[in-house]
Formats: sequence, structure tokens, C-alpha cells
Amino acid sequence: MSRKLSAAALVERAQARYEKIQRQRRDPRYRRVLARFVTAGLLITNEPTKPQRGPIRVTDALWAGEVEPRILELLPALLIKKPSFFEDASALPDDLAQVVWALRRAETPAEFRGIPGADLARWLPRLGRSGEAPSRLRCFRFSADESRLLSQLSRELDTTEVSVLRRALRELGAAVLKRGV
Amino acid sequence: MLVEIAERLETFVVERNLEARCEGLLALRPCVIKLLGQAALLEAKVSLTLALTNDVDVYADYEFAVEQEFRRLLATKGRELDSLGGEVWMPAETTYQSLFVGSYVTLLVADAESVLLSKGLKAARKNRQLLTEYLASGPSERFLRLARKYHLDLDQFL
Repeated sequence: MSRKLSAAALVERAQARYEKIQRQRRDPRYRRVLARFVTAGLLITNEPTKPQRGPIRVTDALWAGEVEPRILELLPALLIKKPSFFEDASALPDDLAQVVWALRRAETPAEFRGIPGADLARWLPRLGRSGEAPSRLRCFRFSADESRLLSQLSRELDTTEVSVLRRALRELGAAVLKRGV
Repeated sequence: MLVEIAERLETFVVERNLEARCEGLLALRPCVIKLLGQAALLEAKVSLTLALTNDVDVYADYEFAVEQEFRRLLATKGRELDSLGGEVWMPAETTYQSLFVGSYVTLLVADAESVLLSKGLKAARKNRQLLTEYLASGPSERFLRLARKYHLDLDQFL
């Protein structure tokens, strides 16, 4: 317990702050955003909500996220994986745009409005098509022989050239790093 | 909802063990699943406003086959077993109540005060409203004692 406050004073101050939270929870922006997240199966709540299926505004989600931080936690990954969830997915405030940019590059973003970057990143493979995180463009030059070998392996394994490279990378990683990758 | 899953998990283990006995294979051991986090508060039906993601955090001593089935059963209800659930910090004083007790599967739920303490200490920002609501409702003596012991600064929730 706070050393500065007696239990009664603590409760009194908490009640004053809780009244403000209750007002925020009654706000139509919060109700709409929470209901949308619940309807989409992203959040579970014991608050009564009405099914909400239409797109929501990013600004409303940011506002509601101040009341329920788990909305902020899910928001960047949702913007990437389910942009149709929002009316205005292309008009983002700078801090949110930076987080989305980092996630698209498969980087762990900086903290976003109190939510650690790692917590933001963990949702990316879990939303939309399960297990898929954004890939990152890397350019390399191959000699003619290497290029021929890549094509030959691709035909032999009946897969794409990038799949051959990914498999080779995983196998090399497992052998060199002595762990599954 | 998790009680129903525990019942189905119990049936799964019973059936697997009957098959194992017929085939002379090793039977699956009984296990205890301890429910943590907001999922514990939801199952315990605490009178606080809860909003949680579909993660389910547990401490469990089950075998791999049981874990896989538990994961699958959770997924059928839109929930996901958090693979890092075992790393959740809970105070040593945590007590657990039974939600389901079978021959092979026991489902327990962590007490609300310990869950709230864990949330306040390890993810204060994300759980600020929850803690404020709890404090406004009149925290228990036990919670205040735990908060003092583990140096949880309650001012941050006011």
C-alpha cells in the first residue's frame, strides 16, 4: 500500500479517478471501438456490447486505447493485417505510422503510448492469416553458376526459388547455430 | 468456458489411456492446470470490468500430448494458449481454487488478489484502469499486505 495514504484515503482517491474512467467507458467512441474488437474476436470482455461490424476510425481507436490499452496493443498489427477494419487506415499520426513502418520491416518497434514494442510485435503473426509475419525485401547478386543451381534446385524440388533459399537458410542455421530455426 | 474445455480434456486423456493400456503403451500422467492472468479473473467472475485478449496464461505440468490437445480445444473457442504463460510471475502467497477436478485433469484458478498484484507489478500501464477500479471498490487487507510486501506503488493507479 502507499505509505503516504491511509486505506480510506486511498479508496477515496481511487473512487475519484474511477468516476472519470466510468465516464470514458460510457463515451460512444469507446463503446463502438470495444464492440468492434469484441465482435471481431480480438478482445473478450464482461461488459455488455452490441455487435459492431462496420469499419471504425483510427482516431477513435486511439482515444479508446487510452481507456483500454489492449486496443493500442492490437492497433498497429491490425492496421497491417486488416486495414479494412478502419475507415482511415492511411491517415495515421506520426508515432503510429512509425510503429507500423517498423512492423512492416519485421523490426521490433519503439514503445507506443506506453505499450512496449515487443508487445506490439507479437500480434503480427497472430492476426489475419495465422502465422504469417511481413517479409522483408533483401537484394543479393548471384553468379551465373549459382543462379543456374538455384533454378535447378527449384525445378527438382518443385518449389519456388525463394522457398529453396529459405529452406537452405533454415538448414544452415540449424547446423551452424545448433538449434531449430 | 474453461471448465467445459477441462472436461473435454479429461475425456481425451481417459480415451488415450484406455488405448494405451490395450496397446501396452505408457499412459498419460494426471496433470494440474493453474489458470492465471485476466482469464483467471474472468473465470472467477470477479466484479471488475475486464477486457482481455484471447491469450490464456497457465502454469501446468501436463505432458506434450495433453498440452497440444488443450491448445487445440482452446482454439476451437477462439482462445490461444500463451506459450510464455509459464513465465508469468505470481507471488508465493498465491492460492488456487478448484474449477474442475477429474481423474486426470485438474483445473485451478489463481486468487484474484494475487492476479491483481502480479498485473500491477509486471504490467502496470496496461492494467491501470483495472487496478484503479479494484482500489475504488475497497481493496482487501490481504491485497494491501501483499502490495506492501512486494513494494507495489499504488499511487500510480490513482
